[in-house]
Amino acid sequence: MEEERLPNGARVVVARRPGVPLAAVRLLVRAGAALDPAGRHGLAHLVVQAARRGTRRRTGRRIDEEIEGLGAELGAGADEDATSFGLSAPAEWLPRLLDVVVDVATCPTFPRGELDRLRRREVASLSHDLDEPGTIADRAMIMAAYREHPYGHPVEGRARHLSAMRRLDAADFHRRWYGPGVATLVIVGAVDPAKALRLARRRLGGWRPAAETPPEVPAPTPREREVWVLDKPDATQAQVRIATPAIPRRSPEYFPAVVANTILGGGFTSRLMEAIRVNRGLSYGARSRFSMSRSAGIFYVSSFTKTESTAELIEVALDEIRRFRDGGPTAEELDRAKGYLCGLFPLSLETHGQIAEKICDLALYGFGIEEVTGYRERVRAVTAEECREVGRRHFPDGSGAVVVVGPARAVASALERFGPVTVSPARRVL
Amino acid sequence: MPSAREGPLLPVDAVVERTLPNGLRIRLLPERGAETVSYYTFFQVGSRNERVGTTGISHLFEHMMFNGAEKYGPKEFDRVLEARGGTSNAYTSNDLTVYYEDFAADALPVVVDLESDRMRSLSLTPETLEQERAVVKEERRLRTENSIYGLLEEQLESLVFLAHPYRWPIVGWMDDIERIRREDCQAFFRTYYAPTNAAVYAVGDLDPDATLALLERSYGDIPAGPPVPPVAQGEPPQRGERRAVVRHPAQAPAVLVGWRAPAARSPDAPVLDVLQACLAVGESSRLRRRLVEDLELAVSIHVGWGWRIDPGVFSVFAEVAPGVRPERVETALFDELARVADGGVSPAEVRRAKRLLRSAVLHELSTHSGIAHALGQSEALLGDWREAGRALEHYAAVTPAAVKRAAAGHLDPSRRSVVWVEPGGAG
Repeated sequence: MEEERLPNGARVVVARRPGVPLAAVRLLVRAGAALDPAGRHGLAHLVVQAARRGTRRRTGRRIDEEIEGLGAELGAGADEDATSFGLSAPAEWLPRLLDVVVDVATCPTFPRGELDRLRRREVASLSHDLDEPGTIADRAMIMAAYREHPYGHPVEGRARHLSAMRRLDAADFHRRWYGPGVATLVIVGAVDPAKALRLARRRLGGWRPAAETPPEVPAPTPREREVWVLDKPDATQAQVRIATPAIPRRSPEYFPAVVANTILGGGFTSRLMEAIRVNRGLSYGARSRFSMSRSAGIFYVSSFTKTESTAELIEVALDEIRRFRDGGPTAEELDRAKGYLCGLFPLSLETHGQIAEKICDLALYGFGIEEVTGYRERVRAVTAEECREVGRRHFPDGSGAVVVVGPARAVASALERFGPVTVSPARRVL
Repeated sequence: MPSAREGPLLPVDAVVERTLPNGLRIRLLPERGAETVSYYTFFQVGSRNERVGTTGISHLFEHMMFNGAEKYGPKEFDRVLEARGGTSNAYTSNDLTVYYEDFAADALPVVVDLESDRMRSLSLTPETLEQERAVVKEERRLRTENSIYGLLEEQLESLVFLAHPYRWPIVGWMDDIERIRREDCQAFFRTYYAPTNAAVYAVGDLDPDATLALLERSYGDIPAGPPVPPVAQGEPPQRGERRAVVRHPAQAPAVLVGWRAPAARSPDAPVLDVLQACLAVGESSRLRRRLVEDLELAVSIHVGWGWRIDPGVFSVFAEVAPGVRPERVETALFDELARVADGGVSPAEVRRAKRLLRSAVLHELSTHSGIAHALGQSEALLGDWREAGRALEHYAAVTPAAVKRAAAGHLDPSRRSVVWVEPGGAG
């Protein structure tokens, strides 16, 4: 693996790997939805979609034709912390593809017609999202857990905000935040590292700095328990989320949190799966997760059940949380979770694309390679007491939001025992 | 198209194959790379082997396979596997039921023990049947009844097929899920889960000779099964367009159109892969450009086309832009398809499609799991695992004229079926 910081601040990492004759390219820019201005939620997402619709040297159509004509598809998307452009293709096309990817990220022109069309499409696809109960629940969960925090709106934005966005908003966002100082380019695969580095220097070397450096994002505030019911009068099944602010990715509690979560709701044999699916047949799936970003994170439980058993499902999930907070894991559970995580770790680094993504993560969170090479050792070092402590500190007991998407008439009154209930139409999350 | 310096796509010569006296087929491929093994068990049974009254039994049975056998009791399968650094899952299709495990290489003997235990002596208790029945009903509510695409797909398949078992959903009708009895499951197990009807594929960091010996020891004593009943093939010809409307309180309309399309073994199957890529893979594909970008009639367009043992379905799904009548999407879609049938596609479009397909094949073959699955899928659908290494040859032989012919022949307007979701109903 070779790494270099260019004079303009851009980082380049190249890793040569044997195997299939493909190369994966990923360009990460540390500017994401947390930078969306008030009243413009969804801007970072719109900017990355619009960037591929035209640059100084290429029209949007030409970009599509050039990339797809070489057998690749350009993936471009934002999350709360960053924006990334990525593709994977036969290695012989690397020079041509890299040229397009860098062009799209660094020199977009945001043609007005294209931007307006994208805006309309994004708003339209939000209304199709309204037909997906799981998607509504996920959007509501982010809003309920983070509230006014910069991470507290869905990355895809809100219909009203998207409709108000203009070309200037996009161009401004790009000028302010996209620059080499917050960029990392990663190339992995059947490539000659020296050649790939030369190529990267040529393509990225002329990129001028962004106007501003992204500010640090504060920690969110935990809140008392609230219940949000998003009404879908027609649904025969309720989607359920229980969520609360927890830890950022760089937290010293990261490894205990990963192990504790595996036991509570990570794998197929987790306590939640056992209690909800195996012992009671309440659902097809139940899981929990620490969703960790650069500056903050949430812990959540996610499941669904027929509307009649909504309150029972929540009760069972909260009981399992309580039991973990009180007693922590058994020695057998701890061993099993560690064996599972360590054994599967190589599978997360099997393809060129997975490795490129992992290297971008390291850059985003400010880790060195030892975060990867030392993974198993650090998982094995986690103790039962550390897991219990993670549970006690971050699994919600009386705090956090309960989100239910389903027919309010059938479910709402049974939910009052969990906290104050607010009922809104599902479109509230748009 | 592979460039000259590239070796073979799959090291076919390194595959060790054996068929045990009880009929179990074994294929092993040692592969360097990650220190993991991927282990697949394919049973040649899916919803096409079912009958009315017990539709969904293949899928329900897939759930039953995780509920304990003689040596490893209830809940033990995944516990033992996870503790050893592995994960498992399964899927049921119209044609197949497939179980797979990915794990750290040193867990191979444990995985073989777990898999052979359940093939030999699965326990089917009334309690686990009731539990899985409830879980499967939730799965059906999730993927069909509360999903626009799920609702449409279920309607479409029952329009495209009048007689063939592809006409019912893989998950089964809700009533049938309720009705399946323990005796149905026992008979199903005896017939379809015998080694005669199964194949095992292991790919990864393994020693083929030692693994073969291990598999012979572990599976060799399982008795062969009875012959599998043939699947009725009496699908009558379609003599005109078929239509259905699903009234559902959706926010926006959606359209799904389908045609009965050739079987996996047909020489047209790879031609339709190329047509699919020309029509709807990538932003510069024909339908995306026309319906999403130029006319803004649809928010998204997907072409569904999967190879099946018997003639299957080629479909187009459009999420209609709010405020647009579905008729307009249909008209634009059919115009564009007629243009392909009449005027064909350009050599550049075919070259682009082949390059996209080549990348997809290379991606599939870049993991142990992808290779093992490709071997199994090729043998199950085409009768020979070696076909997994020949995909690019088939694509290379596709010409623009063949794509035009396939579009004209298979996407005939008088043999299409059309389903809409129309917003309406309770809310």
